[in-house]
Amino acid sequence: MAVTIRHLEEFDATESFDCGDEPLNNYLRRHAWNNQQKSLIGVTYVAVEEAAPGTVLGYFTLAASSTPRDRLPKKFVRGLPSYDLPMILLARLAVDQRFAGRGLGRALLAEAFRIALQVADEIGCRCIVTDAYRDKVGWYAKYGFVPIEGAIEDGPQEMFLDLRTIRKAVQNL
Amino acid sequence: MTLAAVSKTNDASLRVRKSKFQADLAPSEDQMVRALKVELQLSSNSEFLSDALTLFRWAVSERKRGHRIVSESASGERRILIFPRLERVAPEINLPRVELDWTEREYESFAELALGEPAEPTEALIQLMRG
Repeated sequence: MAVTIRHLEEFDATESFDCGDEPLNNYLRRHAWNNQQKSLIGVTYVAVEEAAPGTVLGYFTLAASSTPRDRLPKKFVRGLPSYDLPMILLARLAVDQRFAGRGLGRALLAEAFRIALQVADEIGCRCIVTDAYRDKVGWYAKYGFVPIEGAIEDGPQEMFLDLRTIRKAVQNL
Repeated sequence: MTLAAVSKTNDASLRVRKSKFQADLAPSEDQMVRALKVELQLSSNSEFLSDALTLFRWAVSERKRGHRIVSESASGERRILIFPRLERVAPEINLPRVELDWTEREYESFAELALGEPAEPTEALIQLMRG
C-alpha cells in the first residue's frame, strides 16, 4: 500500500471515514475543511493511498498555540525573556479502522513531528502538546510524550513532547 | 490561441458531465505551448493540460508539506524553485493559533517539563523518525 500524506483538500472523500470514534469522524467530515480554509483554526493532513487519492485513510490536525508566561510559576520563568512560550498542538489524530494495524498512525505521527521541526526552524517553537484519550496515553508515551499533571480526571490527558527530544532522535539517525 | 480541454469517458453509459476549460493566451505563451507539445509529443491540448495539471498539483502538494522543490545539475549544483503562488501554501504560513484552557496545576507541570532539560528520545521515537 503506497500512502501519501498531504493537506486535506475540499473534495476529499471524508464521509466514509470511520475510526470508531464519532467525535473524530465528525470532526473530519464536518469541521476539518472549514477550520482549515475559513476559520483558520487548524490544518488537517490526510493519509491517502495512491490508488485512490481522494479517500482518507487517516488524518491529524495541527494548530499553533502558546503558553502565557504569566501563567507559569515564577520559579520556572526567572531568567526567561518576557515572551509567551510557543508550541504546536497535535489536536487530532485518527486512522480508519479498516486500515488499522498497518502502521498508519505511526506514519501520521512521524509526519506531524517533521512538520513541527520545520515550524520550529522557521518561526521558533518549544514543544508539541496533545490531549490524548486515556486509553491512548501508552501509545503516545512510547514515542516520548510525557503526561502533563493536573488534568481533570475524566477528561483527556494533556501530553508534552520537547522538540529538542525529537531533534535528538533525528540526530541519532 | 484558445487552449481548451474537455474531460470525457469512453463508457457512454456513465455519461460523465464534460468540463470545459478555456484560456486566452498571449502570442508568446501560445508559442510556448506549441513548442512544449512538440517536445513532449503531446497530440492535443487536453493532454497538455492534463500533464500540466498533474505537475502543478504535485508541486502544490509538495510545498504544502513544506518540501522545497529543487533542481540538481549533474555537477551537484542546486537551484530552489521560488514560485510566489506556491509559497502561499507552505505550512510555515498556514498554521493557525489556538488558545489553551489549562488548570493551574497543568501550567505548573508544563513549566517543569518545558523549562527543564529535554528528555532523551525513546527507542520507538528514534525508529519512528528513521521512517
